[in-house]
Amino acid sequence: MGNRLLYAALVVAGLVTLAPFGWTLLSSLSDGGVPGWPLDPSLGAYGDLLRAIPFWRVLLNSVVVAAVSTGLQVLTSSMAAYGFARLDFPLKDAVFVVYLATLMVPMQVLVVPLFIEMRTFDLVDTYAGLLAPTVASAFGVFFLRQAVRQVPRELDEAAVMDGAGHVRVFASVVLPLIRPALATFTIFAFMASWNAFLWPLVILRSPEFMTLPLGLATLQGQFTTRWDVVMAGSVVSVLPILVVYVLAQRHVIASVARTGLK
Amino acid sequence: MSRGLKALSAFALVAVLAAGCAKGSATRESAPEGTSNIKYFTFSAAPDHLADLDKIVKAFEAANPSITVTVETAPFTDYFTKLQTAIAGQTAPDAFELNYENFVSYADAGALRDLGDQTAGDDLSAYAPRSLQTFGRNGKQYALPESYSAVLLFYNKDLFDKAKLAYPTADWTWDDELAAARKLTGGEVYGDFQPVQFFEFYKALAQAGGSFFGPDGKQAAFNGPQGVAAAEFLLAKPGKVMPTVAQIGGTPDYDTNLFKKGRLAMWHNGVWQFAGLKDVPFGWDVVVEPASTKASAVFQNAVAVSATTKNAAAAYKWLRFLTSSEVAATTRVASSWELPPLADAKAYAGYFEQTPPANRKAVLDAVASATAEPVIARQQELQDIVTKALEQAAAGKAPVQKALDDAAAKVNELTKSG
Repeated sequence: MGNRLLYAALVVAGLVTLAPFGWTLLSSLSDGGVPGWPLDPSLGAYGDLLRAIPFWRVLLNSVVVAAVSTGLQVLTSSMAAYGFARLDFPLKDAVFVVYLATLMVPMQVLVVPLFIEMRTFDLVDTYAGLLAPTVASAFGVFFLRQAVRQVPRELDEAAVMDGAGHVRVFASVVLPLIRPALATFTIFAFMASWNAFLWPLVILRSPEFMTLPLGLATLQGQFTTRWDVVMAGSVVSVLPILVVYVLAQRHVIASVARTGLK
Repeated sequence: MSRGLKALSAFALVAVLAAGCAKGSATRESAPEGTSNIKYFTFSAAPDHLADLDKIVKAFEAANPSITVTVETAPFTDYFTKLQTAIAGQTAPDAFELNYENFVSYADAGALRDLGDQTAGDDLSAYAPRSLQTFGRNGKQYALPESYSAVLLFYNKDLFDKAKLAYPTADWTWDDELAAARKLTGGEVYGDFQPVQFFEFYKALAQAGGSFFGPDGKQAAFNGPQGVAAAEFLLAKPGKVMPTVAQIGGTPDYDTNLFKKGRLAMWHNGVWQFAGLKDVPFGWDVVVEPASTKASAVFQNAVAVSATTKNAAAAYKWLRFLTSSEVAATTRVASSWELPPLADAKAYAGYFEQTPPANRKAVLDAVASATAEPVIARQQELQDIVTKALEQAAAGKAPVQKALDDAAAKVNELTKSG
């Protein structure tokens, strides 16, 4: 009985979560962007999308930028996490607190200072300028440090006894054991980069650098907007996230379940 | 790793880094000796008029071989975020586009160059004097008018025929409109559609003979009897001759779709809808908005030169060409890309020959009775306060007079602090 209620509640919650996606899909298939009854689905908006923006170029930009940004973040965050969890150095805790504090500063506040910094390095309107602020992630360091701390120290010590140095311990002992956390963080990082709007908007100038969110935004005019085309773009932009999520799903569930343990 | 592989990966890394740091087409320094390159930032070209703008740029570059123009576009909703950051980061484009509201704040913030040096020896009589004046502040010309759009009353002729009613004329008053709307409403059809929000309110206020601010330009005056009349006129529609505010909700293009389906008899909207209505299966036309005192909303865009540009003279030349050349005017007209703000309507006569609608000349009536939008430094908040007050009154949460009084008090706070 209790189970049935639980399932009913879960089904409702699931539907509520899915409803906006369903609506997005329906709108993208309806002329003018407002689903009518009877349904009169058409793929016209998807064709218009390909014509309205250099879609494949924009998609390629997004994929490359998200992949590079995610790869760099996972690398830097896991190394920093290892450092904070396993090494002793002066002011370790203070430095870590400063790291955490940066999580509280919203991007909107940082935009102008970051922009000026990038201008000083002459990186405005470059891929490098777009990627630079995303190379390190305070959240990633925090998240992965928790995971590293759960790896029993005895395992490292055994490896050290066998003559392994820090690099070896990190690469061969710690990393394989925190794979679920790495998978979870990979998804977070990928999503953040994939959905990023404000920073790419500000730092990029040239149409050939445009990422998907920027491309979709260009479909909105001063007075009118083709909503069916915007929705078609949104549907397409959700797909890669779904793929990444499905690939990493097994690990994510394991990792979220484990965050409660100490 | 073998030595060859190491060298190769080092080379690959350098190549990737170099590619990553390469500038994009919009910011590359590309002006050879003796020429200047103008970076022009615009919102009105994307998404539908990029090719048209390109045509104007090509014509300009052909006429001025020593100047090249690099266009950068952004969608309207994000344009000003980008422009603000660029100006704050000292990488402002040489010339950029502004709508009227933002023109005021950018001019007051000192981001625009006083065009006095250039206009001094220049004949500006091509522009409609009123448009030109709109973009002057404190006796200085800070921008050139670029284009305008007007709001009109659209009507479905078939629905009027079916109801055996005469079509709206330029002499109609509010009462004529409401009476016709009541007769036209029924079944699936709504008689009228006018959003209940700030933009309609300031215009209706002017149509009622009122003004938004008092003579000092700061003290709110929209809660007087004319303001109440304007609000009551707007509120007489939802739930009676048009869908309720709640029904419309945030549905995008609710009214556009209603009109296109032939279920809306009268519709307050702008000339930018013309292109989208080309192929509807019913007859339609436009007329200047009904009112005993004519007052119409005319939205103007302008172009300005950045206060920090090193290419002021070339930038000005480009803006003059963009706003008043024959190529620009004909390109705009041919593609229904807003109207050029020129004094001589002959310069864009082609616009009025296109149909539908047959009565395109109504645009000129609207321009003749253009009413300026009230603009203060904290514009967004002003708009929100007024729209919210009207919605409260529409929902019956407060009497009209009280809703407007409360809004006026809040607006006075804004103008005092901002």
